[in-house]
Amino acid sequence: MSVYLTSTGAFLPGPPISNTEIEDVLGLVEGKPSRLKARILKSNGIQTRHYAIDRAHRTTHSNAAMAVAAAKKCLDDSPVPAKSIGMLSCATTQGDMVVPGFGSMVQAGLAIPAVELLTTHGICTSSVMAIKAAANSLRLGEHHSALVVVSELASRLLKSTRYEAAGGLAAMDFNSEFLRWMLSDGAGAWLLESAPRGQCLRIDWIRSFSHADAFPVCMGIGAPTDTNDSRTWQDYPTYAQAEAAGALLIRQDVRLLEQMVKLGVDGALRLIEDGVLAVKEIEHFLCHYSSHHFRGKIADLLEMAGASIPQDKWFTNLYTRGNTGAASILIMLDEFLRDGRAAAGDRILCMVPESGRFNTAYLHLTVVEARE
Amino acid sequence: MSTVEIKRPAALSELGQATLRRLMREWFEFERRLATVPIVRRLDLGTFTRSDYQGLLLNLRPQVVEGSRWISRCASSFDRDHADIRSVVLRHAHDEHRDYEILEADFVATGGSLEVIQSQPKNPGSDALHAFLMFRAGEPNPVGLVGAMWIIEGLGEKMAANWASRVEQLTGFDGRCTRFLRYHSDSDDSHMDKLYGLIDRICTHERIADDVVRTAAVVGRLYALQLEEIEVGH
Repeated sequence: MSVYLTSTGAFLPGPPISNTEIEDVLGLVEGKPSRLKARILKSNGIQTRHYAIDRAHRTTHSNAAMAVAAAKKCLDDSPVPAKSIGMLSCATTQGDMVVPGFGSMVQAGLAIPAVELLTTHGICTSSVMAIKAAANSLRLGEHHSALVVVSELASRLLKSTRYEAAGGLAAMDFNSEFLRWMLSDGAGAWLLESAPRGQCLRIDWIRSFSHADAFPVCMGIGAPTDTNDSRTWQDYPTYAQAEAAGALLIRQDVRLLEQMVKLGVDGALRLIEDGVLAVKEIEHFLCHYSSHHFRGKIADLLEMAGASIPQDKWFTNLYTRGNTGAASILIMLDEFLRDGRAAAGDRILCMVPESGRFNTAYLHLTVVEARE
Repeated sequence: MSTVEIKRPAALSELGQATLRRLMREWFEFERRLATVPIVRRLDLGTFTRSDYQGLLLNLRPQVVEGSRWISRCASSFDRDHADIRSVVLRHAHDEHRDYEILEADFVATGGSLEVIQSQPKNPGSDALHAFLMFRAGEPNPVGLVGAMWIIEGLGEKMAANWASRVEQLTGFDGRCTRFLRYHSDSDDSHMDKLYGLIDRICTHERIADDVVRTAAVVGRLYALQLEEIEVGH
């Protein structure tokens, strides 16, 4: 049985924030402008992004509120009433509450009665886990519709006060600052149905490959600054001590990041080998990694191996909407479809790399027209 | 055929492309396996020590010394119909046949003794790797060894791009101690062009492509074994 993506919605909080305004919102650590900011922004290419906190660090939208706003936009464009949704499948890197699951808060906000609920746990690919579980549930015939809602509120982690509480500038390095200039806030929603509706997308397949068995953590929250200390945040007597040790900072091991690009290629090659992916048939490639990561030797190899996707088929809104982690791919497809870029018969490949402990996910969609 | 020089082709045949994709997959498998080898994991986690580095050099040297031998033997196993391939391999043998002297000097620069590194026997992984390469190199027209070059040259580049500065950062050793690791950073493009050329030249049949990929897989496994064995002997 096929599953169709029949509606999308996105929500980005507040006005777009330019590169020069970032520190007005996130704050200056110990009153000093960052020395790494310009270099990191140049490398990620992001021009504007949105934050759900204001300049006084007050939260303007909770994570669940953004999720609900995106879900409502998605449902507003569909005749499917919220109360008839069979499954609500949610993802976020970090909910407003530690527990219960993020999905519970989203369900409450949407007032969907007696729904089957799922909250997936992880970082960027938690979105794909939520989408796949929802699609599979429709394939099994358990429901006729499933709403996938993914939201991220990273800015609360990136406030200057977080870094000051963890030892300030003296304790900061490239790895702890990297994501401060990368991540921002937003939410996206997709409605999945067991029958096509108008022009919609058929979900052909969703596959992912995790490599946590082979590689160490590349991006995470919970481990202290001292790499010789094997404790994680809850092992400290108080949360204040965990924070002081840097165990609540979000960190990226930038040296290991190169591996992410290679594993992204590895996954695509596995799919080609398995016969499910035919690169030449792809009309649109959506990836929340900027394309410049795939330049140089790896691009040359892919070109020679007949496995590269020409630049004019890439679509991203990373540079204007920011990197919203798990929500990125939903927000990206929403804008792609609203721009009217999809034509019947087009094949779309979405790729979601998660550097956390190296998971790569791929979605293959085909634009179809429902017969009246 | 034999008078033509091997160079980068405009495009690879379908079989050449498929072989390159399979070789990339073998490389990624090799990197996955490398990442689980304790000494490499310590490099990634930042717990790699000075004695780890000395152990690495001690255990690499025997294979590097022998490396020039298998490449030379490989060159001599190509007949006149494969003279163009032989030229590439001969040049390669010439380029690398005294690499071990750089490695020895690096070890001495870290405070190690020349006598110690020169008397270090092969570890079991090095023995297996060397035996396999010498055996394959002795076969007539051993085109499958392009798969070995793919892994070994790839590792050379990885050492230069990814390991050398990390080793310096974690151990405090300076550039005089890491010249061997950095040695392969030059002429990346020409290495790749030569590899594309070789793949184009030899991948004329599915059976040959399988041989190249299989050889890459075996060499990757045995190279990782050589690095795993550092723990045991150290």
